[in-house]
Amino acid sequence: MTEIMPNITVRGPEAPRNIEALDPVFTVSNLSVFYGDYEAVRGVDLTIGNREITAMIGPSGCGKSTVLRCFNRMNDLIPGARAAGSIMYHGEDLYGDHVDPIEVRRRIGMVFQKPNPFPKSIYDNIAYGPRVNGMKGKMDDLVEQALTQAALWDEVKDKLKQNALSLSGGQQQRLCIARAIAVRPEVILMDEPCSALDPIATTKIEDLMQELSRDYTIVIVTHNMQQAARVSDRTAFFTAEVDEQSVRHGRLVEFDETSRIFTNPSDKRTEDYITGRFG
Amino acid sequence: MAILSTPASTVRLASQGRPLKEHLFRIALLASLAIAMIFLVVLLVYVVTQGWSRLDLNLIQNFPSLRAVNAATAGVLSGIMGTLWVVALTALMALPTGVLAAVYLEEYADKTKWYNRLIELNIANLAAVPSIVYGILGLGVISRGFGLGPSVITGAITLSLLVLPIVIIAAREAIKSVPPSIREGSLALGATQWQTIWRQVLPASVPGIATGSILALSRAIGEAAPFLLLGAATLVRFNPDGLDSSFSVLPVQIYNLITNSRPEVQVVGAAAIVVLLAILLLMNSVAIWLRNRYQKRW
Ligand SMILES: Nc1ncnc2c1ncn2[C@@H]1O[C@H](COP(=O)(O)OP(=O)(O)OP(=O)(O)O)[C@@H](O)[C@H]1O
Ligand SMILES: [Mg+2]
Repeated sequence: MTEIMPNITVRGPEAPRNIEALDPVFTVSNLSVFYGDYEAVRGVDLTIGNREITAMIGPSGCGKSTVLRCFNRMNDLIPGARAAGSIMYHGEDLYGDHVDPIEVRRRIGMVFQKPNPFPKSIYDNIAYGPRVNGMKGKMDDLVEQALTQAALWDEVKDKLKQNALSLSGGQQQRLCIARAIAVRPEVILMDEPCSALDPIATTKIEDLMQELSRDYTIVIVTHNMQQAARVSDRTAFFTAEVDEQSVRHGRLVEFDETSRIFTNPSDKRTEDYITGRFG
Repeated sequence: MAILSTPASTVRLASQGRPLKEHLFRIALLASLAIAMIFLVVLLVYVVTQGWSRLDLNLIQNFPSLRAVNAATAGVLSGIMGTLWVVALTALMALPTGVLAAVYLEEYADKTKWYNRLIELNIANLAAVPSIVYGILGLGVISRGFGLGPSVITGAITLSLLVLPIVIIAAREAIKSVPPSIREGSLALGATQWQTIWRQVLPASVPGIATGSILALSRAIGEAAPFLLLGAATLVRFNPDGLDSSFSVLPVQIYNLITNSRPEVQVVGAAAIVVLLAILLLMNSVAIWLRNRYQKRW
C-alpha cells in the first residue's frame, strides 16, 4: 500500500491577498477530464487550502461534480472516464501509477447530493468504514465520536440499532457526514449536500461544516450562492464554454477568496452569475 | 393579447362514454384472471377427488408397487426422498455458481465488450431451452461421458444446468436493483470492490436471489422429462443413500403410476400429485414469506 501521509503544517500568517492557498492540500494544474472522447472539463488550475472550505459554484453541467469526483478518484469507477493534467495531494501525484485509489478514498471522504445511508442500523452505518478499513479501537467510542461531531448523537443515541432509513432526510445526510468522518479522512468532499434538505436542516449542515473545518479540509459543490458566501473561505466559479468546434467544455472562470468573489469579482461572467443575470 | 378562456358551455363534467370503456376493460381483466383461477381450481379439485382415497400416511411411508394387490398400501416414499436429494444437491451446486456468475456479469464484466454481451444473450437463450434437451445433455455427457450412470449426482448436475440460467437471471435482477448510490457510498469510504459486493450488494439482494432461486427450484421439482431420459428408475424400493445411488423422483413415479392401466394404481398417482403440489406450494410460500420479510425500501 502506498504511503501518502499528509505532512500537516501550521497555517502561516494571512497574506493580505492570496489567490493561491498558502498551505495547499490539493494543487490542481491544467486538469482536463474526459468521458470517453468528450472533454467535459478543460484546463482547470486550482488549489485547495488546508482546513479551509472551498466552494465550487456555477451553472448546471459546467463540470463541478466532475472536478470534485477527481479529488477522490471516484471518476475511476465510470467506464471511459479519464483525467489529464495533474492533481497533487500534498505534493504527491494523485493519479500516479503507484497510488492506490482505495487508499485515496479512505483519506478523502465524500458526501453525496442525495443522502445514501446503507440499509443497515445507524450504528452499522457508522461502523462500516472503520470496519472495512480494519481500524482498531473501541467501535462504540468511534461511533459516538463520529455522531457527536456530526451533531447527530443527541437525536439518535437511543436508537442506534434502528434502521438508518427511518431517519429524516436531514438526519440521514448528517449520518452520511458522520459515516465519512468515522474513517478519519483529511478531506471531505460534498456534492450539493443540502439540495434535498429544508432550510432548517440546511442551516444545521452549514453550521456543521464550519465546525468541521477546524479539523478537516472541505470542498463543497453548491447551487446555493448564499451558502457558498456564508460558509466558504474560497470560491471557484465554473462555467461552460463553447469551443471552435461548438463543443461545450466546463471551464474555471475565477478562483478567489469568497469575500472577493461576492463583492468584487474580476470577471464579468462571475459577476453576472452571482447577481443572477446568468445561469 | 386577449386571455383565451374556455366558454362555460363547453365544459362538461358529465360522463362522456369513457366509463363504459373502462368497465369493459375491467371485465376483460377479471375474465382473464378468472380463466386462470378456474382452471387451477378445477385441476386441484379433480386431482384431490381422484386421489382422495389414497391420501394417507402409507403414501409417504411406503415404497411404490405396480401390483393391484398392493394398491391400497403402496406409496411414493422413494420418489419423495429422491426428489429431496436431487433438489438439495441442485441447490448446493446451482445457487453459489449462479450467484457468482451474476456478480461477475453485473459488477465486473465490461458491458461494452462483445464477449460479455454474447454471454448475456446466451444465458437468456439457455433459460428458454426445453428441459428435455438438458436430459439429452445429462444422458450423453454426464451419465455416459463421465460415466456417472443414472445416479443421484447425474440427476442433480443435469437439474443444476437446467436451473442455472434462471438463477443467474434472478440474481442479476436482484443485484441490479441495489441502487448505485449504495455502491458509491461504500467505495467512497475506502472499501474495496469485493468488500462492497460482499457487505452491501449481496446482503441487499438476498431476498431477490432467494425468491428467484426458490421459484427456479420449484420449477425443477416438477420436471419429469430430463429424468425419463436419464433413465431414473421408477419402481425404486429403497431411498437414495449416496451420490452414486440410483433413484427416482416424484414426477417420474407419478408419470409411471398414472399411465398404468389399473385404476387402483392410477389413484396412487393422483394422490402423489397432491403431494407434489403440496411441496411446490410450501416452497412458493417460503419464497413469498422471504420476499415480504426482507423487502428493502430505499
Ligand atoms: N458519467 C458521465 N458520462 C458522460 N458524461 C458525463 C458523465 N457525468 C457527467 N457528464 C457530462 O459532463 C459535464 C459536466 O457534468 P457535471 O455532472 O460535472 O456537471 P455539474 O456542474 O456537476 O452539474 P450540476 O450542477 O447539474 O450537478 C456534463 O456535460 C455532463 O453531461
Ligand atoms: Mg453536479
